[in-house]
Amino acid sequence: MVENKSDSETDSGRGWSVPTGRRTDEWSECLVQIGDNSDRAAFTRFFRHFAPLIKAFALAGSSLSAAHADELVQEVMLKVWQKAGGFNPEKAAASTWIYTIARNCRTDMFRRLQKFDTPLAADDLNIELEGEEPFTVLHTRRGSDRIRDLMGQLPPDQAQILAKVYMEGKSHSEAAAELDLPLGTVKSRVRLAIQKLQVQMDRQ
Amino acid sequence: MTKHHPSNDCLMEHAAGSLPVAQAACVSAHLSYCERCRRTDSQLKTVGGALLERLDPVPVSEALLDTVLARLEDPVPLTYTGQTAAAELPSLLQRLINGDFSQLVWKRITKSLSISYLSTGDTNYEFALYRIAAGGRIPEHTHGGGEMTLVLEGGFSDGRDSYHPGDFIYRDAEDTHAPVALDGEDCICLAVLDAPLRFTGWKYRWLNPFQQLHAG
Repeated sequence: MVENKSDSETDSGRGWSVPTGRRTDEWSECLVQIGDNSDRAAFTRFFRHFAPLIKAFALAGSSLSAAHADELVQEVMLKVWQKAGGFNPEKAAASTWIYTIARNCRTDMFRRLQKFDTPLAADDLNIELEGEEPFTVLHTRRGSDRIRDLMGQLPPDQAQILAKVYMEGKSHSEAAAELDLPLGTVKSRVRLAIQKLQVQMDRQ
Repeated sequence: MTKHHPSNDCLMEHAAGSLPVAQAACVSAHLSYCERCRRTDSQLKTVGGALLERLDPVPVSEALLDTVLARLEDPVPLTYTGQTAAAELPSLLQRLINGDFSQLVWKRITKSLSISYLSTGDTNYEFALYRIAAGGRIPEHTHGGGEMTLVLEGGFSDGRDSYHPGDFIYRDAEDTHAPVALDGEDCICLAVLDAPLRFTGWKYRWLNPFQQLHAG
């Protein structure tokens, strides 16, 4: 595949060499302990770190009340406890994993509050990488580690747009309206940000 | 291997959770066919995780932690098993259909086109399966809005290219097209529309007043 080739060239050029896909970061280990041993102490540590971030996520775009934000924190953290056994540190970082849970819970909560009745829960629309070749998993994993490293280097205007889209759940045109920018400017900032993060995408 | 994919913007809005449910379902169904887009989706979710890590934390009360700890052993409502890639038919569609294509009620529109409407609860979008008889043509038409199409069975051609199971096509309001099903088998597509289709040819224009958006 073309993008494999170009990406591995970038990898070698920058001296990326991760021997295995296994993560050793604190929060991934913490999740594994929760999953393997139903470890309440590990869960408490995880809660103290992530609950304030989930609350910030709930309140981003000031779309939920403080009471609903707390309810969301509760739902997300209970899901963390229930699903930690399925967390695979070789496939995803802890932050990616919990982001996906928080995003889905927030979408479902919005729909509930708007009395929007649908047979599809946000979880149903989430497709995970499953049964992929180990090489693909490793490769995707390395790309993901790189994204997290590069995030800190984004120019503020690009980081701001990404935060609007992801943390506030705004569409590109809603973000454009709120920031009083032409839609084209929003789209090109998003595109530049995604390029800088080296997300593997089609060139369009 | 699928050749036609959602745009980068569309994949990103999907990963950020901002697509309307009907469109999100169509993109998800494509992901279950397409490994390349699954990888992109996975990395785009990583972007979300990295942004989450950088938010300014908002304090959470100890009482909330206690409440959660007290509820850890609550019975889990229904264990969610997750979507896995590439079954015969994407499982979210199997669920909306409640089985397979033979269980559907098809509404005949023209000699070679039948439509079966499914419900996603989204009142702004029509979410429907189109069945075009092998070798049959959908009369030339346009839409008042955008149209997402995902091929599920068989294939069709629109003069520009041909499309096969898993291929995802987006057409906007300006686009006029007259898809023709490939020979050999009926073509079944998922179509998500935000405005009803309008036939443009004189022969079929009389049908337009009867075309309305079957959203919901």
